[in-house]
Amino acid sequence: MDFDLSEGQQLLVNTAREFLRRQCSPTLVAESLASERGFSPELWKEISVLGWPGLLVPAEYGGSGGSLVDACLLAEELGRACCPAPYVTSAVAATSLIAAGGSRAQRERLLPVLAAGERLGALALLEESASLAPDAIGVAAEPGGQLSGRKLFVNDAHVADDLIVVARGASGLCLFVVDTRRPGVAVLPMAALAGGRPCEVTFDSVRLRADDLLGEPGRGWELLQPALERGALVRAAELVGCAQHILELVVEHAKGRKQFGRPLGSFQAVQHACADLLRDVETARGLVHHAAWRRDEGDAGAGDIAMAKAYASRISQAVARKAHQLLGAISFCEEHPLHLFHKRILAAGLDFGDQSHHLEVVASAMGLA
Amino acid sequence: MDFQFSPDEQAFAEEVRGFLRAHPPEGFAIDGMDAGYGSGAHSRDFLRALADRGWLTMSWPRSFGGQERSLMYTLVLFEELAAVGAPFGPLAGCNQTAEGIIRYGSETLRREVLPRIGRGEVTFWQGFSEPEAGSDLLSLRTEAVRRGDEYVIRGHKIWSSHAGIADYGLVLARTDPSARRHKGLSMFVVDNATAGMDIRPITSLTGEVYHYEVFLDDVRVPAGYLLGQEGEGFTQLLRGLDTDRFWGRFYKAPMLRRVLGELVQYANVTSRNGVLLALDRGLRRRLATLATDVQAARLLFYRIAWMIREGRPTPYETALVKVMADETGQAVAALGMEMLGLHGPLTGDSRWARLRGAIQHLYQTSLGQTIAGGTSEVLRSTVATRGLGLPTEARPRD
Repeated sequence: MDFDLSEGQQLLVNTAREFLRRQCSPTLVAESLASERGFSPELWKEISVLGWPGLLVPAEYGGSGGSLVDACLLAEELGRACCPAPYVTSAVAATSLIAAGGSRAQRERLLPVLAAGERLGALALLEESASLAPDAIGVAAEPGGQLSGRKLFVNDAHVADDLIVVARGASGLCLFVVDTRRPGVAVLPMAALAGGRPCEVTFDSVRLRADDLLGEPGRGWELLQPALERGALVRAAELVGCAQHILELVVEHAKGRKQFGRPLGSFQAVQHACADLLRDVETARGLVHHAAWRRDEGDAGAGDIAMAKAYASRISQAVARKAHQLLGAISFCEEHPLHLFHKRILAAGLDFGDQSHHLEVVASAMGLA
Repeated sequence: MDFQFSPDEQAFAEEVRGFLRAHPPEGFAIDGMDAGYGSGAHSRDFLRALADRGWLTMSWPRSFGGQERSLMYTLVLFEELAAVGAPFGPLAGCNQTAEGIIRYGSETLRREVLPRIGRGEVTFWQGFSEPEAGSDLLSLRTEAVRRGDEYVIRGHKIWSSHAGIADYGLVLARTDPSARRHKGLSMFVVDNATAGMDIRPITSLTGEVYHYEVFLDDVRVPAGYLLGQEGEGFTQLLRGLDTDRFWGRFYKAPMLRRVLGELVQYANVTSRNGVLLALDRGLRRRLATLATDVQAARLLFYRIAWMIREGRPTPYETALVKVMADETGQAVAALGMEMLGLHGPLTGDSRWARLRGAIQHLYQTSLGQTIAGGTSEVLRSTVATRGLGLPTEARPRD
């Protein structure tokens, strides 16, 4: 057993933390989230120079071939800074799908530009039912034919260049890579809290070319599953980062703020609440690292990822709510950063499967009938 | 990052499993109740069987007759034993006492007591708490006075687990009444058979005896049975409590995994109002949530074990994981009772009991665990002050 990070991982964490401290200030976060795009293109450029979008891309396609543990470490830092960037959507989910299921031509065309952060991908999966299940897919398409229907909750579609669309054909579920500028594609952001950028995407008789198909026809869900799990796990890491930062805000406040002539943090009611926040953050991080390590080792571990995502969602929301209480009235203000972290937690907790989805995976993995 | 046991450690796990298959835990005589921590009942029979395989001296230095194996082997042993519900109740106390004697003990203790621990012949109780010294342990009043080559101990200890069926107590007493609260404390190894010892059982809410109270009426202890030096008692206590929070709770995670596994099987074959429990979506989520909590605690235990092995300080981690393990245990037992419904309160003596009546027993014993070994309130304050650097609350000067 060894719980230390490797030198390379420690370097990644240190670099990310220092870069985000300098380049992703709370002011920039607030301004970016208030903007139409939801993130700063300049910041994304700098992030791209650091190679983060290519972390999970194999070296032969211009990436650094990092592990899932690496991606989780980076995502935790992004969460810690509440960094508004389409990292998980594009660099984890879409990139993983193309790396795993793309033809040689698709990989050569898309992976280098995704790795360089020059193009952004997004996943058009959910529909009006909001159900994350194969039988909930109603959008219809045939390879080489037409794509019609509506997707909802497509995160970051408003800035994406390529959508990976899950659609139903005669052979079953298929995945297609569709340029958002192709005629018949319309993207409309859904008004939502600042934590995420869900979009409505409509496909009006969009023409599909033969080489838009990703992977084999009818095997779309099988291809999708591991990418959804990676997305869920990296989101869990991001949630841990958000919760970690909130814990730091709370502790700083509890040490500095005095009432009744004593620091708040000397009151047991406050101390005990803070102790629970520390427990939540540390144990969630442990579940995330363990699940990522198992996946990197080649173990199936769907139950481990589901545990990590369900737990991180639950505790990060609890941490955020408790933090509002501990930080007091100031945390009710827009100028205080807590609500931005809280909203990010709400959105990330729902992405790639909410708590009940993942708990159901855990329940099945436990052997419940 | 590596969450796996080494190949040698895994081979040892297989060795333990093989032993347990060949010697099913049910076959060993039980002398004292299972207090629900995960280490099962008190069984000298089983302890000797472990000793026969050399598993009580694994972590001892070779110069003391040990095998100098890393603590990961002890971890593996505890995990495998807890996973099948083996009765190894006294083992953690034996390990802890042996560690104390190896670290601090006199030649006398090393010669007279240590080898008997290695052979599985003796078990131990802790004499720390007193009627007026619970969470405020440093207000303890038991005194030890040096007279020639003996100490004479006078006082009253309570909540000493299995004291009446054990051989020796680790008794914390005041050797310098004029010193400040945490100074002037010393630790003694006291033979139960010494004149002046009066060990009385306390019947617990389960109807069985786990705790005892111990009256020490001018009990004469040879000077060589002082553990370490006079005045070292506080340091040893802190070390002992820290060890106890880790080793006395580590096996709870594998035990709870086993219990959750039994509840899953129960849900898979039990219908209520015509619906299989396993198909109740709410119940599925609650079981999955608790399984996740158990796994989260288990991974934290592993991490702490690694920190201890690496010689890193664990200023708050053992307090944190103890609170989490105990509260998760209470939640598992409570859900188990709810799932069993009217069958929940039936004891193992009823032919209608489910899961051998084990859930109600676990439920009852779980109530004491957030109190024993440091209450959750005290430990949360420890986590807040030592883990997060929050200011300590005003307290009497220690």
